Amino acid sequence: MSTNSALATSHAERLPLSWARIALTLLRSRAALVLVLLLVLFASTIPSYLTLTNFSILSKHIAVAAILAVGTSFVILAGGIDLSIGSVVGLSGMVAGYMLLHSNSGIFIAVLAALFIGTAVGALNGWLVTKAGVAPFIATLGTLYIARGAGLLLSGGKTFPNLASNHPPFSMIGQGTLFGVSVPVWLVVILFGVAVLIAIRTPLGRHIYAVGGNERAAQLAGISVGRVKLFTYLFSAFCASIVGLVIASQLEAAHPATGESFELNAIAAVVLGGTSLMGGRGSILNSLIGACVIGVLADGLVMLGVSEFWQMVIKGLVIVLAVAMDQLQQRLQARLLPLLSAKQSTQTVTA
Amino acid sequence: MNAALNSQTEIILEARNITRFYPGNVALKDITYRVYRGCVNVLIGENGAGKSTLMRILSGVERPDLGEILLHGAPVKLRTPGDASRLGIAIVHQELSVMQNMIVSDNIFAGRELTHSLLLDVASQNTRSAHALQQLKQNISERAQAGSLSLGARQLIELARSLAHSASILILDEPTSSLSNAETEALFDVLAELKSAGVTIIYISHRLHELLHLGDHFTVLRSGSIVGEGSRNEVTRQWIVDRMTGGNRSEALAMREKAVSQEVMLAVENLSVSASTSSTETCSALHEISFSLHKGELLGIYGLLGAGRTELLEVLAGARKRESGIVRLNETPLHILSVEDALRVGIALVPEDRQRDGLVQSLTVRENIALAGGGWSLPAKSKEDEQMRGVVEALNIVPKNLELPVSSLSGGNQQKVLIARCLMREPKVLLLDEPTRGVDVGARAEIYRTLQNLAAEGLSILFTSSEVDETRMLADRVLVLRQGRIAAEISGEQITDDALFSAASPQVQNISSTVVGVTA
Repeated sequence: MSTNSALATSHAERLPLSWARIALTLLRSRAALVLVLLLVLFASTIPSYLTLTNFSILSKHIAVAAILAVGTSFVILAGGIDLSIGSVVGLSGMVAGYMLLHSNSGIFIAVLAALFIGTAVGALNGWLVTKAGVAPFIATLGTLYIARGAGLLLSGGKTFPNLASNHPPFSMIGQGTLFGVSVPVWLVVILFGVAVLIAIRTPLGRHIYAVGGNERAAQLAGISVGRVKLFTYLFSAFCASIVGLVIASQLEAAHPATGESFELNAIAAVVLGGTSLMGGRGSILNSLIGACVIGVLADGLVMLGVSEFWQMVIKGLVIVLAVAMDQLQQRLQARLLPLLSAKQSTQTVTA
Repeated sequence: MNAALNSQTEIILEARNITRFYPGNVALKDITYRVYRGCVNVLIGENGAGKSTLMRILSGVERPDLGEILLHGAPVKLRTPGDASRLGIAIVHQELSVMQNMIVSDNIFAGRELTHSLLLDVASQNTRSAHALQQLKQNISERAQAGSLSLGARQLIELARSLAHSASILILDEPTSSLSNAETEALFDVLAELKSAGVTIIYISHRLHELLHLGDHFTVLRSGSIVGEGSRNEVTRQWIVDRMTGGNRSEALAMREKAVSQEVMLAVENLSVSASTSSTETCSALHEISFSLHKGELLGIYGLLGAGRTELLEVLAGARKRESGIVRLNETPLHILSVEDALRVGIALVPEDRQRDGLVQSLTVRENIALAGGGWSLPAKSKEDEQMRGVVEALNIVPKNLELPVSSLSGGNQQKVLIARCLMREPKVLLLDEPTRGVDVGARAEIYRTLQNLAAEGLSILFTSSEVDETRMLADRVLVLRQGRIAAEISGEQITDDALFSAASPQVQNISSTVVGVTA
């Protein structure tokens, strides 16, 4: 009699628990689900969608967003925010343009100079946040204006045109292909490979999660919190500098306004990937998926002929919905974790 | 015993002439603290005596303003926690310092990861973590998310961290405050093993019986000075208590006639709250709590960390949702949904964490007290002034200048500001969560007197405390909470240290025997 009722209750408890688990798994992989859904939707409604040319255009769009998202991921995982990357994109392109047109240093030096100056903005961000104690939002808001202004000063507000005319190989960065795959896509692969390796397999990666999860505890554990944060801002600015070069190479020109509001796109991609803005929770690979969602959505809506204004409304809705789903996941987890651990402990008691 | 005596001659770590200033007071006054090799070095003192400050200095978290630290007789620089850990000094902090978003083995190796040609050696980390956890005899998986573990288990992770790094000096700052009896026993076994392996242990605790059981060498701190040192054979319970209190404990609290009326002010029936875990906090559950609070009574709630003390007060104050149960004030059932509701009917809470939940540090004393004002319009200045002056006078808040920023006041006076804010609303029931946390000894006695006076005037007071002494001295009656249930109700003469301890500690044997009984 008593065993019967015990069985009945355990069965009744197990059923909703397994449902909750399934719901949780679905919620966790929601970015990938949304991506698949979008691809299916566009492929079935747009005749020319599943063609090689479309995908090569799509991949170029996504590449820019993805490279920015990978850099932003580390900053956000460590509990910070970087608003300056859009301006760094512009500055990096302008530095390359200036060097190509106004010095005879050659492509190699021009590219290095662009990467160096762009990454230096990251160093400034890191210094402001860790040494000067400025809140990340304010520090990078300041460098957003500084870097944008510096880019404008380089040309007096004008565009640097025809960058590839004297230096034809410059166009390779954005337009070239290697083994049939475009260079920007290779850059995505390399940067994501390195970033995932750092995140999963290196002490630095653990430190980034630790600082984002509980900065004080990380400090007490002997982690040099300042150095970890500095790295995230350096890496983020480095990624933005690469994007600046890619865009300048694609356009064969450097325009000082390039990259405006890119930082918001990057943050949106990271958040869509399920990374918490509070830090400490999320994954790099999910940011790539997030960038893909934003890229595929934008691209598909254009092909469907949806007006630009509606595109913005839809994109905003998707972002807000993603964060709302994240909260749902958190709440479900909070309910489920004690249940699951209680289940484990009863198992150990009976064993 | 012999070995301990011999090794007492050898000083492994010495903090020489250490002085540390905090804004407004001196935490450590030119003290010289010696740690003997291979011994359990016990450090005792009341809250605010400077124990934790000294330990933070020895573990590189804080730097002394004056003085030096010698390891094996040579001066060392401890600028960061990393420095200390490289020199073999490990600390289990009083505050939980665990990254809840990471798994156990990542926590254990945080900051000291094992690598294999630049990459993490996850397998070795897991094996060594599992080994350290086994040493602690704990059934914790090294791959479990730290945030999903109980408070006690999280504390043990920190201990496992020191084990995995084979520290030569291990500092434990009140390690048993959140442990169950079984966990505490496992801890003592491990400490005995470590000691026989030659590890030097510095042990801080409030629990005298633990200290007398474990310690080889005793040091007593009071108000930032060392007031007593002795080895095991010269130390008794009385010796410790005399030095801790300066021998004037009995006059700290004048005897008061305990004239509690029989009139019930607050009645709680079958109150339940469910547990929840989030990234920022873990809340314990409460199960069918029933009790009554009389008019003019000082009712204490005692229990270990995680027993549900804070949760109970927060529910009554409207800061937390209850699942079921009835709360009656003056026999009227209450429908409290928010803090504002609770204040309106006359229930006010002084929260545990003054800095975080209580005061607005950037505002003045006046503005902080006036925060209590309800409604949309500001009260007439003169009326507010009059009432405030009365309250400030009654509580003896020093300095009297209300225009000073609240952050410039001492901990004790900040606490009084919070009490003053509650009194502005003329409550019938005052809830206090750890009323003397971070308050120095002198101000404590004053807060105790204040609470007794308020009770004598007919205010019903419900307070929580994790300190036995405080609970025993202050309370007319004590409810002991254990794992979210009322485990005992003790009143008057029966409130003793032992009674409180044994009621609050989880009785693991009983639970497992009932489980066995059910399955059989």
